[in-house]
Amino acid sequence: MEGETDEEQQRFSYQQRLKAAVHYTVGRLCEEVAADKEMQFSKQTIAAISEVTFRQCENFAKDLEMFARHAKRSTINTEDVKLLARRSNSLLKHITEKNEEIAQFNLERKAKKKKKLEDSREPPDAGVEESKN
Amino acid sequence: MQSSRMRKPWLRLVENITPSSPSLHSSQRRRSLRSAQRTLLETPSSRRLSSQTKTTARQCSYGANAIGKWSHVQASRHLEEQTPRTLLKNILLTAPESSVVMPESVVKPEPAPQLVQPSRQESSRGSLELQLPELEPPITLAPGLLALGRRKQKLRLSVFQQGMDQELALSQEPRGNADASSLTSSLNLTFATPLQPQSVQRPGLARKPPSRRPVDVGAFLQDLQDTSLALAPLGDSHRTPVATLPTDTVLEDTQPFSHPLVGRSPSVHHSLPCPSHIGAADAERAVGHRTRSSGPKLQNNSLGKPAQPLVERAEEVNALDMGFPNINSSVSGEGGVKPLEDRVGEEAEERMEEGLSISEMKEATGVQRSAKAEEHEGHTEVQEAEGSQGAIEAMEPEGSSGDEDTSGGTATPELASNTPEFLQARRLHQFLEPTPPPSAADLCSEPLGPLSARLPPRARTIGPRPHKDPYKAGLSHYVKLFSFCAKMPMEKKTLEMVEKCMDKYFQHLCDDLEVFAAHAGRKTVKPEDLELLMRRQGLVTDQVSLYVLVERHLPLEYRQLLIPCAFSGNSVFPAR
Repeated sequence: MEGETDEEQQRFSYQQRLKAAVHYTVGRLCEEVAADKEMQFSKQTIAAISEVTFRQCENFAKDLEMFARHAKRSTINTEDVKLLARRSNSLLKHITEKNEEIAQFNLERKAKKKKKLEDSREPPDAGVEESKN
Repeated sequence: MQSSRMRKPWLRLVENITPSSPSLHSSQRRRSLRSAQRTLLETPSSRRLSSQTKTTARQCSYGANAIGKWSHVQASRHLEEQTPRTLLKNILLTAPESSVVMPESVVKPEPAPQLVQPSRQESSRGSLELQLPELEPPITLAPGLLALGRRKQKLRLSVFQQGMDQELALSQEPRGNADASSLTSSLNLTFATPLQPQSVQRPGLARKPPSRRPVDVGAFLQDLQDTSLALAPLGDSHRTPVATLPTDTVLEDTQPFSHPLVGRSPSVHHSLPCPSHIGAADAERAVGHRTRSSGPKLQNNSLGKPAQPLVERAEEVNALDMGFPNINSSVSGEGGVKPLEDRVGEEAEERMEEGLSISEMKEATGVQRSAKAEEHEGHTEVQEAEGSQGAIEAMEPEGSSGDEDTSGGTATPELASNTPEFLQARRLHQFLEPTPPPSAADLCSEPLGPLSARLPPRARTIGPRPHKDPYKAGLSHYVKLFSFCAKMPMEKKTLEMVEKCMDKYFQHLCDDLEVFAAHAGRKTVKPEDLELLMRRQGLVTDQVSLYVLVERHLPLEYRQLLIPCAFSGNSVFPAR
């Protein structure tokens, strides 16, 4: 029994820390926006935004898991994220663009790696490949 | 065991006799047993016991000390065999093996090959499902018992038994076996299972297994058409929304959403020719009847390729849509205005009616938009189906109007994902509220009243096309119901707004379903997609599964179609 309450307390404190982190990030972002638009954000606003963000993150996580399971996968994919963001067009566009960027980046990385590997492998493997062929 | 012994006081005698004195001489035991037997000779059950005790007595003569235990065991075994538990066990053991048709073909029960004949005889008399449960006890009896049974014939009381014996006498089985089975016939009296008076000579009385022949869809549809034609002259209030549509050209091209049970129902997948001139009333009545009467006999009516993308819809939509296609299939033979109104479950009835009119809307809309893309068309129809479903759920419970207003108001400014969830949650919440029967009755009787009153005057108003957008024509009916349920005068703007919200809601819903299906790499929307949607809406949770919701809100017919149930003959419907 005590172990359970300890666990609960641990989880609660963990949750609080996460909330604090979210709050901090939201505060920073609001500062930037305030500086940009020359408007002030009240503390309650920032608190409200961070609370909403946190709760939405919980929802998103559950939804993402559901989507992944719906597609009979055990890993959450970018497709799941895109499905999640489909409601707002701008957000969806943004995410799709980012996704493409990342994909491209990955491809480039792979190409680079391959080149490196080929360069490093060529001298010793040249003989092996010829023998294989 | 103890309890069973307590219940049968005569058995206690055996108990007292057998284990009490192992030192008794066998003859003494025999005497005591015989005295016990005499006292028990009157009743047939005691007769059974006496035969058993005689068996034990006989067996006692074989040995000295071992007899006590042996007879005790025998008696106890006999005692055991008469408990309901053992009898049921016997039933279960012997039931599948029994075949009433031919006695020889019956598989003999396990115990003794020597007593195959009596078992066969009994099984021939037994019912199809329940083999005579007394098979085992008599089988374990020694053959000498059969001779005893012969003596008991004169003591038999009931004419039935005598009749049984006569039938048995006709058989080729040896007399002993017949007596054994006649003994068992006496035993049968204690059981609720009716004994089938069948013998070898009368195989025709055998209970045949129910043969479900496939529904002749063509003939059925033809009947429907005929009846719909017959009922066409009857007008209906619900005809108003449809009345303005030119039915013949419009409805003939209609290919609304696919039948939800295409992939599942065992019935023939049949595309109906849409009888265009179905009256709205007929359709409604028909749906009301069909949904109640028809089980798996659903048809895929007026389906076409446009419906293919939405071949398999999720449960609730499917369940309600099941009623809708039936409109196209026109009225069922049972149709008629009155029987519907006499039906129990007025809520369901109202739902049917609403659904019917909505489906008619869908037909109209479907036809007029036939030029558009298939999926889109399916979407609209499905949307309206959804709209009908949602509206039905919203309308039925009392006091839904207030919530509807507020929800409609909140829906307009923001069409975020929260809103449809909120709406649906509110609606279902209303649905979950227990509707007091009298108020529900009042509610249901009231709409029926004015609607039926409007029946005659509306019958003639088949006029020009609706000036409204047919896309939303289906929802107008629900908006009207909404205004009725509000019990307050409502502005036109409000109604328009409500209609807009419903439209958006269902559009959204169907887009989601499409996306979910695509997400799973499919082209058809499946029930899993709708389950996912409901989960996102918060209706289906870890505590509340989809089946729970189906059971809560849908009538029995829909539930039968949605939730897999095992039926006799090892068939599960709907097949998973």
